Amino acid sequence: MSLDYSWLSDGLYQTWLLRGLGTTVLMSLLGIALMLVIGVAGALCLHFRLPVLETLITVLVEFFRNTPPLVQLFFLYFMLSEVGLKLTDPTSGRSVPLFSGFTCVVLSLGLYNGAIAVEIIRSGLLAVPSQTVEGARSLGYTRFQAFRYVELPIGFRLSMPAMTNNVVSLIKTSSQAALVAVPDIMYGATQISLETFRNLEVMLLIWILYVALASLAVVVLRRLGEALRIPGYGVQAS
Amino acid sequence: MSSEWRAFLLGIIGVPAMLAGLLVAVYGAETEIILTKIWLRTPLLLSGSADFSSYSGGFAANIIISLWAMAIALAVGVVLGIGLIARGALVRVPSEILMNVLRNSPWLVVLYAMLYLLPFEVTVFGVTVFLSPMVKSIVGLALPVTANIAEVFRGGVEAIASGQWESARSLGYRRLQILRHIVVPQALPLMTPNLMTIYAMLFIGTSLVVVTGTSDVLSVARTVIGSDGDHIATAVYIIVLLLFFLFSFPIAILTRWLERRVRAR
Repeated sequence: MSLDYSWLSDGLYQTWLLRGLGTTVLMSLLGIALMLVIGVAGALCLHFRLPVLETLITVLVEFFRNTPPLVQLFFLYFMLSEVGLKLTDPTSGRSVPLFSGFTCVVLSLGLYNGAIAVEIIRSGLLAVPSQTVEGARSLGYTRFQAFRYVELPIGFRLSMPAMTNNVVSLIKTSSQAALVAVPDIMYGATQISLETFRNLEVMLLIWILYVALASLAVVVLRRLGEALRIPGYGVQAS
Repeated sequence: MSSEWRAFLLGIIGVPAMLAGLLVAVYGAETEIILTKIWLRTPLLLSGSADFSSYSGGFAANIIISLWAMAIALAVGVVLGIGLIARGALVRVPSEILMNVLRNSPWLVVLYAMLYLLPFEVTVFGVTVFLSPMVKSIVGLALPVTANIAEVFRGGVEAIASGQWESARSLGYRRLQILRHIVVPQALPLMTPNLMTIYAMLFIGTSLVVVTGTSDVLSVARTVIGSDGDHIATAVYIIVLLLFFLFSFPIAILTRWLERRVRAR
């Protein structure tokens, strides 16, 4: 079996791949931001045992964690246009969904991995020594101030290793965006293989690109984790 | 089992209630008509046939694929895991590289790659085996899961006190013998919750096989939407979400319960 990569010199294909890579990175970054917001907000509700929100968030977290992100994505994509979030395109008169595939993917990535992030941050918060929190409280911090300035910073750092896995999972999951026609790198790859019939070569290249992207994220997050680490906390302390 | 019971009841009542609420919110007065339409399609979604005459498609296919992929991944993953804890760098380093590559690759890409990498049919000892899309998707799903299992295997083995190794060594056991008779039997209870988590993840991942042309629940759902119209799409996806949830959620709760028991010992 010989691999033919001559198609790679075609300028058009290079543009597709580069633009796709950009879309994938942008989508992942937005997804990570949303994931963090959801994770912190959800963990806060669970941590303070807010009456109704606690139950609601537990149900939502179980739902998002135990159903496939791909089905969630399709569901969002179809439901949002079904409930009438549509615009009428003035030029063609056709109705187009208000939320593009891109928005849906960012939403679904943020929700799925955010649900996992809620659990991760919560277990990080639980790992914060109670003496530290008590100390902050005795210094006159209110419950929320103690959360904001003591528990969250320490708990978040303690949850860094698990969060790294979650971010990698988010980047990997972003590849399914191609299935709702978002022009990400996977979409570019399928387009190229449709035109060149070099299916295997294209997929191998994409595979390498994704592994590189995920490995880069791992390296960056490890560095970040080391930079943020508080001496004396966490398992790596040796 | 108190805290798990609470979570189980909350989820098993709360999530269907939430999905039902969504259904009513989207369709309003039409809900009843939509539900009758969906009810007629349920056997198709569950078994791939309109009257439960066979179980080779739909949600049943997802279960079959997940079980086969898990079996393959377990067998290969243990071998890779042994490679990860090998003392010789000649075995360990390639195993580590392979594990990291497999762990960091998106399942969808691996599935696509397998679709093209595996031949249409293979001839072993004169017998020609036809590789159906289902077989290819099983292999494609098993590959990344293998890496996760190898990692869990390594973690479980490393959690066993090194004194166990040393005393077995002094009794004259060889490395693989120690692993088989002393370390793995002790590590297995520690690994079980993680393995179950991996299975739940794999099961959720079987939704991706829709790209290989296997008639899994998602491709059946797409066919149903194609024949009954886009209007029904939301309801169909709600049913598919519910099916996946009802299968995975009990596993997740059981995992949590086992985890707590393992930790308590």
